Amino acid sequence: MWRLIATRLAAFVPTILATSLVLFITVNVVPGSAAKAALGIDATAQAIARFEHEQGLDRPLHVQYLDWLGKGLRGDFGTSFQNHLAVGPELVMRLPVTLELATLAFLIANVIAVPLGALAAYHHQRRADRIISVIATILGAVPSFWLATVLILILALTVKVLPAGGYAPFTEDPLKNLSLLIMPALSLGVVSSALLLRIMRAKLIEVLSSDYIHTAMAKGAAPNVVIRRHALRNALITFLTVGAVEFGWLFGGVVIIEDIFLLPGVGQLVLVGIINRDYPVLLASALTVTVVVLAANMLVDLIAAILDPRQVHVRSRA
Amino acid sequence: MTALSVLGLLPRTATITTGDIRLSGTSLLGLSRAQLRAIRGQHIAMIPQNPMSALNPVLRVGVQVGEPYVLHRQATWRAALQQAIRRLADVHLPFPDERAREYPHQFSGGMQQRSMTAMAIALEPPLLVADEPTTALDVTIQAQILRLLREIRDEHHTSILFITHDLAVVAEMCDWVYVMYAGRILEQGSVERIFARPGHPYTQALLRATPTTETAQAELLSIPGSIPSPVDLPRGCRFVDRCQYRFDHCNEEPPLLAVETDHTARCWLLETVHG
Amino acid sequence: MGPSAISWRRSRLLLIGGVFVGLVILSAIFADVIAPYSPYDIDVADKLQPPSRAHWLGTDEFGRDLLSRTIHAARISVKVATVAVSVGLVGGALIGITAAYFGGPIDLVLMRFMELLFSFPAILLAIVLMAALGTSLLNAMAAIGIIFIPGFSRLARAATQEVLRQQYIEAAHTIGMSDRRILTREILPNVITPLLVEAMAAFAYAVLLESSLSFLGLGAQPPEPSWGNMLNSGRGFMDQAPWLGIVPGIAMFIGVLGFNLLGDGLRDFFDPRLREAQ
Repeated sequence: MWRLIATRLAAFVPTILATSLVLFITVNVVPGSAAKAALGIDATAQAIARFEHEQGLDRPLHVQYLDWLGKGLRGDFGTSFQNHLAVGPELVMRLPVTLELATLAFLIANVIAVPLGALAAYHHQRRADRIISVIATILGAVPSFWLATVLILILALTVKVLPAGGYAPFTEDPLKNLSLLIMPALSLGVVSSALLLRIMRAKLIEVLSSDYIHTAMAKGAAPNVVIRRHALRNALITFLTVGAVEFGWLFGGVVIIEDIFLLPGVGQLVLVGIINRDYPVLLASALTVTVVVLAANMLVDLIAAILDPRQVHVRSRA
Repeated sequence: MTALSVLGLLPRTATITTGDIRLSGTSLLGLSRAQLRAIRGQHIAMIPQNPMSALNPVLRVGVQVGEPYVLHRQATWRAALQQAIRRLADVHLPFPDERAREYPHQFSGGMQQRSMTAMAIALEPPLLVADEPTTALDVTIQAQILRLLREIRDEHHTSILFITHDLAVVAEMCDWVYVMYAGRILEQGSVERIFARPGHPYTQALLRATPTTETAQAELLSIPGSIPSPVDLPRGCRFVDRCQYRFDHCNEEPPLLAVETDHTARCWLLETVHG
Repeated sequence: MGPSAISWRRSRLLLIGGVFVGLVILSAIFADVIAPYSPYDIDVADKLQPPSRAHWLGTDEFGRDLLSRTIHAARISVKVATVAVSVGLVGGALIGITAAYFGGPIDLVLMRFMELLFSFPAILLAIVLMAALGTSLLNAMAAIGIIFIPGFSRLARAATQEVLRQQYIEAAHTIGMSDRRILTREILPNVITPLLVEAMAAFAYAVLLESSLSFLGLGAQPPEPSWGNMLNSGRGFMDQAPWLGIVPGIAMFIGVLGFNLLGDGLRDFFDPRLREAQ
């Protein structure tokens, strides 16, 4: 099992490096744009040249990248063009907010998707399946930021049971923390659950038609035993692998959700970075969100692998 | 399909329209789902065609072999595992206590089929349904599994419903034979009588198509034509389109007619011979 | 539950999808004719009016007619989605077919890069691309289009490989057909169907992404109406005028759901194997 974990970790490093390169090139591809963004469009040529020299932007791109990467590995992501504060500590402060939101959203998505997907698969092509499929189709068409808006309208403005936005750390006030995070997590989680539900259903239908399910039924196992003991784990293995990737793809939604609910997370920083054209901030925060998603992917993938004895126990003797 | 219907595990789209399935005099068709579940594993068990896909990849072999004790005998898992190890020893799996803790993918095909057999005989059911149990295995392993099944039949006094395409296996394994074609029994009788005096043209053709050492043939014989599609069955005898002896009467389906004592076949020719 | 009942249900969903999509596309084309008012006319005296006979869906914070703005916003959605999906389709097809046709290191490099792009969260990648390209509707189309390239390229590659395995391609090579002729005459026609089916699903996602970017202020710029920016500016007035938070959302929902249903239906129609599994 340790070898499995080591292999996955080793594969993770080049992926992170490659994503950082793509982000760096994308942001820096237009020459001079950073200086114009920092100094305004009326900046004189001399001012731009001076700024670029100060910031090291007049060096070749690969030198800049290696410099940024090297410092980044030590936690130094430069200083903001806007407020001249160090970006690294800002990220460290904001990361827990985003991680908590992501975890809650992922849990909500799975709590909805796994049982409903299993129910639909078990009643394949019967009424329960059709109703659940329609629900999934409808949920899949709701934009997360609209769901957020409607939740605020109902729960914060009309019924007034939850605050509309803001943040309190869990360690200081756990109850307030949860009351502030429940709506953002629901907005992200419910919308993602639609896709996960479809995947879960398809995987379980596949598993339920396999020979070993017939074996279990031939032994006289009741349907709930067949599902629980024989089908669920097999379905979960593929579901987690596919589901994590798809959830990651949707996870960019944090940027909008954190903005709507005034959550001081990394996603909000991405938005601050682009609106202010603050490239060090944008680059570092976008990379952080990407790394969070990729790390979560890897973690889920690892869980799926550990659930699968074919990956853990190598074939011993022929 | 035959095997699945015996266990009441036909897909939801299929229904049994005529006939009956009886086990020791009880009809299985009238039973509730719960009653059927009590039969499965206790009174009938199955040995599958492809042991690799019939074993659950994420459960230890011991758990799968021992599960019938938990399902039907309310045994604890600990006790069930002990029973599983005993059964694995019964089917001559080497190192059964170690092997019980391993997963199916760590087994060879022959070991997988031995495990499936151990699972099937766990509660000593009076009937085993073996659905082409050796098709997916190497020839040498086939022989081992057949020997094992014979041993089980003799030691545990188990009846085996053995479904196969292989006439050599039939000759070796069976007492009583049903020759089936396109979903119909065309001939039935003791194995000696059917091989000695096949009554149906289909059985005769089958036997001719089997190469033997005594009658070394230059060319393999085959039956011309192909099996009719289940949605477009011929009127009358199912074999009519491929039969070299067909005549007018074959448009009507014949009943099982006597060939000799305890040996019948579904062919009008028998009527002309005897009648 | 027989197979005919299933297909009847399927076709009913397809019909609902078609009606929704038709609604959105007709609004986009005939916005000037259908909309009762101009989407830009400000009337401060009439601001934040609830739905009435004069203004069926009420008015916004500048007194503009919400129904007219919602109808006109369909235009932006359809325009952005069409361009973005076309960019993704053409780009993805080029990359996917090239990768599959030449194989080897070209295939490896191209598809690794596609995988890399796919590993970014979609909206995040769009936002970073907007940073590089600059904020405008045209750039939003480009950014969304680039996001679609990996998905389309994967599909095009798989379809091309499938075609290449067929015997007649070998035959075409043997009779001395040029690479270009094989690509245009044999491969392209076979690859285009799955790509077009996928395009319908991509349309739904493009509508969603455009709304997201406009919501964040990175897409359509005010006073140009877009469902995304209407929702964003309406949020501030929701305690007085809740319809501002609801109407643009329903419009988005109808657009996304319509294209999704149509995409699902088409996928079923062209891939009978999926009809079984779904």
